[in-house]
Amino acid sequence: MKNISRIFLSLIFALTLFQANAQQRFPKPEFETGYVQPSPTTPEPRSTALEYTDVLVLLAALSLASWLVIKKRSRRGILWLSIFSLLYFGFYREGCICSVGSLQNITLALFDPVYKVSITVLLFFLLPLVFALFFGRTFCAAACPLGAIQDLIIIKPVSLPVWVRKTLSFIPYVYLGFAILYAATGTDFIICRYDPFVGFFRMDAPYIMIVIGIALLILGLFFARPYCRVFCPYGVLLSWMSKFSKHHMSITPAECISCKLCENSCPFDAIEIPEDEKIRTPKTLRENLKRFSLFALLIPVWVFIGGYAISSSHVLLSRAHPDVYLSELLIAHPEMKNDTKNIDIKAFRESGKTFDQLVENAAVIRTKFRIGGWYLGGFLGLVIGIMVMNQFLFRKKEIYEPHKGDCFSCGRCMSYCPVEKLK
Amino acid sequence: MDQETKLKLLRQIIVISSAFCILVAFLLVFNFWQIKSHKPLESKSIEALVQRLADDPKNEELREEIRDFDLLARKAYFTSEWQIKTGTYLLLFGGIVLAIALKMKTDIEATIALPENAPENPLKNRIISHRWLLISGVTVFALALLSSYLTKDFLKNYHPGLLSDAPAGEKSEEIQLISIVDSSAVLEADTAKTDTSKNNPKEVSTLAASQAAKKTTAADFKNNESSFRGYLGQGISYHKNIPTDWDGASGKNIKWKVAVSKPGYNSPVIWGDKIFIAGGDKVSRLVSCYDRNTGRLLWEKEADNIPGSPAAPPKVTDDTGLSAPTMAIDGTNVYAIFATGDIIAFDLDGNRVWAKNLGVPVNHYGHSSSLIYWKGKVIVQYDTSKGGRMLALDAGTGNTVWDIARTNKISWSSPMLLDLNGKMQIITTADPSVAAYDPETGKELWKADVLSGEVAPSAATWNGLVFATNEYAKTVALDAAKNGALVWQSDEYLSEVSSPVAYNGLLFLATSYGVLVCYDAQSGENIWEKQFDKGFYSSPMIAENKVYIIDMDGIMHILKADKSGTIVSEPKLGEPGFALPVFAEGRIYIRGKNSLFCIGR
Repeated sequence: MKNISRIFLSLIFALTLFQANAQQRFPKPEFETGYVQPSPTTPEPRSTALEYTDVLVLLAALSLASWLVIKKRSRRGILWLSIFSLLYFGFYREGCICSVGSLQNITLALFDPVYKVSITVLLFFLLPLVFALFFGRTFCAAACPLGAIQDLIIIKPVSLPVWVRKTLSFIPYVYLGFAILYAATGTDFIICRYDPFVGFFRMDAPYIMIVIGIALLILGLFFARPYCRVFCPYGVLLSWMSKFSKHHMSITPAECISCKLCENSCPFDAIEIPEDEKIRTPKTLRENLKRFSLFALLIPVWVFIGGYAISSSHVLLSRAHPDVYLSELLIAHPEMKNDTKNIDIKAFRESGKTFDQLVENAAVIRTKFRIGGWYLGGFLGLVIGIMVMNQFLFRKKEIYEPHKGDCFSCGRCMSYCPVEKLK
Repeated sequence: MDQETKLKLLRQIIVISSAFCILVAFLLVFNFWQIKSHKPLESKSIEALVQRLADDPKNEELREEIRDFDLLARKAYFTSEWQIKTGTYLLLFGGIVLAIALKMKTDIEATIALPENAPENPLKNRIISHRWLLISGVTVFALALLSSYLTKDFLKNYHPGLLSDAPAGEKSEEIQLISIVDSSAVLEADTAKTDTSKNNPKEVSTLAASQAAKKTTAADFKNNESSFRGYLGQGISYHKNIPTDWDGASGKNIKWKVAVSKPGYNSPVIWGDKIFIAGGDKVSRLVSCYDRNTGRLLWEKEADNIPGSPAAPPKVTDDTGLSAPTMAIDGTNVYAIFATGDIIAFDLDGNRVWAKNLGVPVNHYGHSSSLIYWKGKVIVQYDTSKGGRMLALDAGTGNTVWDIARTNKISWSSPMLLDLNGKMQIITTADPSVAAYDPETGKELWKADVLSGEVAPSAATWNGLVFATNEYAKTVALDAAKNGALVWQSDEYLSEVSSPVAYNGLLFLATSYGVLVCYDAQSGENIWEKQFDKGFYSSPMIAENKVYIIDMDGIMHILKADKSGTIVSEPKLGEPGFALPVFAEGRIYIRGKNSLFCIGR
């Protein structure tokens, strides 16, 4: 009760503080003085010293989170650390750069030789993955502001049917694939553009994004961490790393007595429950083996179909790129080329390029999308193929343990364990 | 505080915060809707004031008034934005309070217990999951494939130079006068002399000897149907022995009937033994030529590969379409314009003479203004949402003879010609002006701000008077000799689309709700009015002292064009009709919705 009161007061204080600093937006000056209007959506760059401080804070948060989860086994400690991360990485750092979005910077740097990433960005991308490789998703537990804001408002989580969870788990792969495609082609950073919570952190966002953010938070009251589970593309990478983690948290500090008390403790449905051995008859095992083999053989087909389908849609996908968009707009409506009221056309005119150059560049980008579409579609086909195949892959489970890929290491389940109480 | 008191307090907080959230959410939605529906920065009042300032640019008081209005509008906009933003934070705050209270209540009430539900069958779950995963994968890829079929690749239509790199703003808004044509011989198309003004750097082209039309006289134009509403666009036919009885369904007096290739609301034009119509859809736009005596298709040519033509036609409404303007013909060429801004000339054998794009007209219904020919020039009224123009193109080359900017709003009416004491004037109607132009130079001769709204009806003239009308505005008679001075006005019956016709001192006007009314052209007195079952989009035509007007059901109402207004007959076409009837040598040609009819005894 006391703790919750503190959280409440802290949040009100934080909200009041930022509300007091919020300013009304005025129209841009309509005169040319060389004055540059500050961007309302992108934070000002920080000094190098502060950037390194941020990395150190992240490193400290990850280390502390891992210690709290693995050694200390303290749910309370994780909770307080996540509040700190929300305030520091969220409201103070205004959510940028975050590890989730950093994968786009890394992607663009790999594909565009002109674009360079700072060591800070690289570390923000790598550190959580390295920690996940050793300790599980402790970043999600307490160091991610996006996760923290959702975690704090979980009220009455409901458990979704397995098939719904499995189906929804495909979406983050799609989001990841498209985020990489759009970043690699220099089109857009869609993870940042559609970040539902960054508007709260910066106290400024397009109205629709605020509405989506609020909708996700309301949904999060009953469907715990909807963004993390259904959308987060960085979560895919963390999940891959975490599956190999050697020191992942466990529900019980000693031996599991299979008391079942923790079965409903996880709001994210991330506890693997031992299966009844009786259902594995020789007949079912044979059938499963047949299905497993069939779907394993079909994986190349999925890869091809996916590649062909997504590559075929390259015309539509590439329209998100400003050059392609402008080229098509002008080809469809040539009369607009002299429309000085259109800010895109005006900006292009001022660039000094010719229309031929614009269209030529658009064609190059479109080709990139066609080729990238093969990779993206192939990747998505591979994911679907493996996911379907895995439905018929049985692993023997005798105790209650967290699913290493899906578990956010929040530590809620630990307090449900009677063995923990006896410790 | 005991647990029960805490729970009671929490329940009260939950109720209050929920009510607060709902109230703020409701106010936010209301505010958002208000901003969307009433855009303060697009104020009609400011637009009207700016329009007034254009006429009186030195009026400082007016300038101050505009500034005050503008400041007020900006204040309103930013106040609304502030309200939305503040409301959002209030909602967020309410939501946080509600969430915390709910969480505390749930924590107090929570107990650790054994799961109540029976364990799910993992095998069954896996079977269902794999099916849904398959459905998801197939759906994603199917949508991707579908998008590839539904998406057009505009880049493929590009060829270097399609978008010229001429910088913006070069288009002159002043009169571009370059050639003066000898006006002594009426309708002598081939006698155009050029008088290139060396002092005018904005010269565009000359008529030169490019117009190789054979000699045509006023009589030729009277004997043929050369434009929308015939000779000079007056709505009067000079043909005799016109039938008054037919039936499209039974074939009575139907000489021939052919299905048209493409839809279009334009009326046929006739020259000699050839009849022409235009049509168009999203796929293509074309001009068709038929033998007037047999209905045999002589040629059909597409208006394609025109530089500057948009890869995709602009959006138009079904009741206007891409081919609403009626073509013009001069005995040498036939000229067609489409809602894409493409204007094209074919010779009478279907050979392309020239084609160009005037810039895609921004028009929410679709461009519908018809062309009219005058002494080697094709006159175009080009009023769009982004400004209006009047152009004269060299009939032989398509080069611009003159091109002037108009200050009126978008319109859908067509230009017509008025012979005022031997001097021709182009008469146009739009919001707000009825305006007259010199067809030789494009110079504005006079204008009268008498109309408003979305003006589609064209003008009518009689004895130096110009008649104009529009729905929700008024019907006016203006004296062209006195620079458009108002003679009379009426708001009794107003036309939405149909253009009036004036004949023998009478003005005939048809409404879209089915009334045909006859006024005294000189005084505006209502002489008679007839109510019919269906409304009129087509315009009345005068032939053999009779009014011919077809309603939207395809029934032709034929009345005596006199003060009696006696109904002569009401023959049925058998399909809806929107175009004008055209006349030639004892026959009527009518374009129905799907067919072109030839009617004769």
